[in-house]
This record gives sequence, structure tokens and C-alpha cells, in this order.
Amino acid sequence: MTEMLTLAKKEITELRRNRLLILLFGFLALAVILSVVVASADFRLKIADYHHYLDALKAAGSTATAPAPQLFPLQLLRGGMEYLEIIGSLFAVVLGTSMITKEKGRGTLALIFTRPLGRFAFAGGKILALSLVWAATVGALFLVIVASLLFVGNAPLQGSDYLRLALAGAHTTGYLIMWSLLAMTLTALARRAGTGLILALVLWLVVVLIIPQIGDTMDPDNQIPGGLFASLQVDKSHEQAVMAHFTGYETTRDLIEQTSVTKQYERATFAYLGIKNEYNQQPLASIWAGTFNNTLWLLAALATSVSTALLSGTKKTILRKAP
Amino acid sequence: MTRWSAVIVQELLCTVRERLPQLLLAVFVGMIAASAFIGSSARSSVTGVYQEALRQGLTTVANPFDSLSPLYYARNTVIYIVLIGALLAIVIGVRSTLRDRQARTADLILSRDVNLSFYLGSKLAGLALFVLLVLAVSAMINIGCISIVAGHVLSVGDSARIAALYALAGLFMLPFVALGMITGIRSSSATSALLTPIVIWSVVIFILPLLGTAAHPVSLLNPVSAPPASGNGFFAATSSLVDPLSLGEQFKHVAALMLADPQATGTMAGSIMALAVFAVAVCTAVAMTGRKRMRRMLHD
Repeated sequence: MTEMLTLAKKEITELRRNRLLILLFGFLALAVILSVVVASADFRLKIADYHHYLDALKAAGSTATAPAPQLFPLQLLRGGMEYLEIIGSLFAVVLGTSMITKEKGRGTLALIFTRPLGRFAFAGGKILALSLVWAATVGALFLVIVASLLFVGNAPLQGSDYLRLALAGAHTTGYLIMWSLLAMTLTALARRAGTGLILALVLWLVVVLIIPQIGDTMDPDNQIPGGLFASLQVDKSHEQAVMAHFTGYETTRDLIEQTSVTKQYERATFAYLGIKNEYNQQPLASIWAGTFNNTLWLLAALATSVSTALLSGTKKTILRKAP
Repeated sequence: MTRWSAVIVQELLCTVRERLPQLLLAVFVGMIAASAFIGSSARSSVTGVYQEALRQGLTTVANPFDSLSPLYYARNTVIYIVLIGALLAIVIGVRSTLRDRQARTADLILSRDVNLSFYLGSKLAGLALFVLLVLAVSAMINIGCISIVAGHVLSVGDSARIAALYALAGLFMLPFVALGMITGIRSSSATSALLTPIVIWSVVIFILPLLGTAAHPVSLLNPVSAPPASGNGFFAATSSLVDPLSLGEQFKHVAALMLADPQATGTMAGSIMALAVFAVAVCTAVAMTGRKRMRRMLHD
């Protein structure tokens, strides 16, 4: 246990000194802030358009009114959460790969294993360090998110909003740790350092971009700009009545999406943040009831990645010679 | 065989033999083949939804998918070129120059009377040839799959449009190959060599479009563009700045016009010019690399 903590401490010190990673995290924070800036600018434009519309109605002598666009602060985070989902996971892959490649590159791997380490101490130390680093990074990112919502978006946050943000943050931490550990596993299993990174990138490409893209493209409502049902002038209640006749197709589409852990993460976090309209302003218990399977799948993926990282980080596996 | 054509052939052979780009290539070609079938599935579901809405008396508008061209089935291809094609281009570019540095062949080659710009230009030409071959095969697969889904052989006009799309894809992918070569030469480690162009790619594909149109990153994966944000105020200023740099969106815009997408409007010239300027700029940067850069040691 002591050796695992020593290794974890060494990793954290090294990661703290890694300028490339600090730059990447800064970039991620900037992307999230930009997404809040853009979302709040978009909302202000919608409000301006609404006032122009009302003025035009008044000028035409009409007494009709229209509901004003409502600001739900956490909905401004959609772009930012999608950046964490896509770019965050990409950085997690790089971080996970570097945990092994740096040791291989410096030749310290063989040196570490000359010490009397427990079988899983090496991998355990790295897993612990990665988990702590991601928890701290996501914590810092979510502080940036809160600050940008309050000061850039001028969006007032309630007490429950902080709890929802904490839940989204917990999901994000688990998601990013999972990607780092998967990349670490592939790099440990690969005989050449570069192979692990490219294998992890291919996995990232398929899980984060391709599978969700297929599911998204198969959605009938995504076939026309602005939505198929809007173009057919069919409202939300009737939309469900129509789609009830396509349950087989929708189930297949849903299954395709569910094979991507990214989609599981997205569904859970979008629900807690109210980005998905059906969960907006709903009590947490009702959101949990609707999305607990997504959270459990994410946890299962995390548990799998921890297990594979532990098993692949043993002396026997990691010190295999390249042919 | 001149020394330059020898470099081109050598680059082509090395790239074909590398296993990892082959993996990305398999994903790319596989998704190109699947794209027509995904499009067909989406189209039949939309037609079914429309007929059901009509049967329930919920709509009176015409089926938006009536008399749709078979080129509709190629729309997903555009996204796969932006995602997988660009990443493939980056990986082969990075591997090309890293290979020289890792095997220390750069030192050996530079000990000869070799003009570095011509050497790197020939390497780039070899990789460009590889990309063109991949795209030519992909185009044929795509035309074949669309013909199967449409139930008839594509007309010459439609086939020419798909061929034009893949020619444009070559113009889109070439600068990413060159970008990969540059970072392969300049980076101090193999990880940063691969990571840097991927970060640039993610900015170009996912971040710049958000600044210009408020489009959410995931919606950019859908071949149907989201309605842009209001074109005044904040977005009028940002879009004029970032639109020319949003190469993914420029490529998607020209591709939509080439595939005769009824929703696509405007002209191709500006977007093609933006892609060409980026390609020329990055390829020139490759040719201007100094000898010392090529001989630097890697730190991993």
C-alpha cells in the first residue's frame, strides 16, 4: 500500500510539472468558457429577436403576445459539456498513454520494477494518481464553469443548480478517468509506445464520434434542418403518437447509441443539467429514475477500465520486449 | 528513376506497409461503404414517418424526401471524411517524418547532396499520392454502394459529382497530411507530434464553428446543418473572423453543393479558395523546414 501511495505521489508531482498537460487543461477551460460566452450571446439575440417581434406586432396593431424565451442557466452548458465529452476524452487518452510512454522513453520502467513492488502496486499507483488528477482538474473546470455562468452568462444559480453541477462533475470525472485508463491499458499491452496511442485514438474515434454520429444520423427528426416534425408542422404530442409506430427502428437506433459509453455519459449529464428538455426543472429523484441505467453503464465501463489497467500493468506484461 | 521519384515510391511503400494507419484506413473505407446503407435506413424511416403523419391527418405538406437524388446517400460520407479522413491524414503525415527521426535516417539522407525542400516535397507528394489512391478506391466503393441502395447504376452525372466530392476531399486532407509532417519534424516527442495536429483539428472542426454560428459540437457530426444563429451583433462579428478558418464547415458547404443538397445555397468559390489557401500555406511551411529541425532527437 505504501509503495502504491509513493508511486501515486511521484506521478502527481510529474503531472503537475508537465507543461504540455497544463496547456491542454488550459485549452479545455478556454473552450468551456467560450461555449458559455457563445451560448449567452445566442440567448441575448433570442431575447432581442423576441422584442423586435413584439414591437412588430404592436406596430401592426395586434394585441397577440408570445411567450418570452426563458433562461435556464445550466442549459448554457451544452456546448461546454460536449467539449468535455469530445475534447476532454481526447486529452484523457493522451494523459493515459503518457503514463506508460514516459517510463518507457526514459528507461525508468525497468528501474521501478527492480524494487520489491506488489503485483498491482505499479498500476495501482498510476490509477490512484490519474483519479486524483482528474478529480482535481474536473473540480477546477467546474469552478470555471460556475464563474463563467455567473459573470459571463449573468445567469443566477440556485442551490439545487450547484448539486446538479456536482453530479455532472462526478459523471465527468468517471468518464475521463475511464478514457485515461483504457489508453493506459492499450499502451501497456502494445509492444511499441506509439502503437498504444494510435490504438487508443482509433477506439476514441469509434466510441466518441462514429457510433454517436450513426445514432444521430438515423434519428428521423435530424434529417431536415430545423427538424422533420417542425417541417411537417406536427407538434410534440402528435410526434410521439407517430413515433409509437416505429418502436422497432427507434429501439435499434437506441441500442446503437447505447453501445457508446460517451452517449451514456451524455444522456446522464444532459439530464442532470436540464439540457434535455424532458428533464429540465425536474426533481433529482425523477431524473435518477430516468437515467440510472446510463450512470450504471458508465460505472461498469469505469470498473472495467480499472480492472484492465490493473491486469495490464503487471511487471510480466509491461516489460515484454518488442520483437 | 530520379532521386525524387525514388523518395515518392519509398514514401508510398512505407505508408502502405504501416499497420496502424491501415487500421484507420479500414475504419475509413468501412464507414464509407456503410454510409450509403445508413442513409438508406434513415430515408426509409423518414418516408415511413411522413406516411404515418399523413395517415393520421397531421400534415398536409409534401414529403420533403420526394424525388430525392441518390446523391442523398453520400451525405454521411462527408462527415466521415471530416472526422476519419482528416485523422488518417494526420497520422500518416506524423508517421512519415517521425519514421525518419526515430530510425535516424534523416541524418543519413541529409549527409548527401540533397535539397531538403525537394526531399520533403517528394515525401509530401508520396503521401498525397497515397491519399488520392485511398480516395479513388473509396469513391468507387461509395458509387457501388449507392447504386446497390438506389437499385440502379448511378448516372454519369451523379458519379461525376461523387468523384468531384472525393477530389475536394483530397484538397481537404492534404493540409492535414502536411500539418502532421510539420509536427512530426518539430515536436520533441512522438506524443506531442501526434497530439498537436489533433488539437488543431479539434479547434478547426469543433470550436471555430461554435464561435461563428453557435452550432453545438455534437450537432456538427450531423450531415444536416443546424440553422445558424442570427446573423447580426455578436455572431456577425465572429463569423466574419472565424468562418474562413472553419475548414470543416467550408468543406461541408462545398460538398453539399456538389451533392445537390436542396438545402444548400451559395457558391463554391469562396470555400474552395479557403481550403486551397490553407493547403498551400501548410505545404509551403513543410518545404521551408530547416535541416537542424530534421536532425533533432526525440525525447520518448
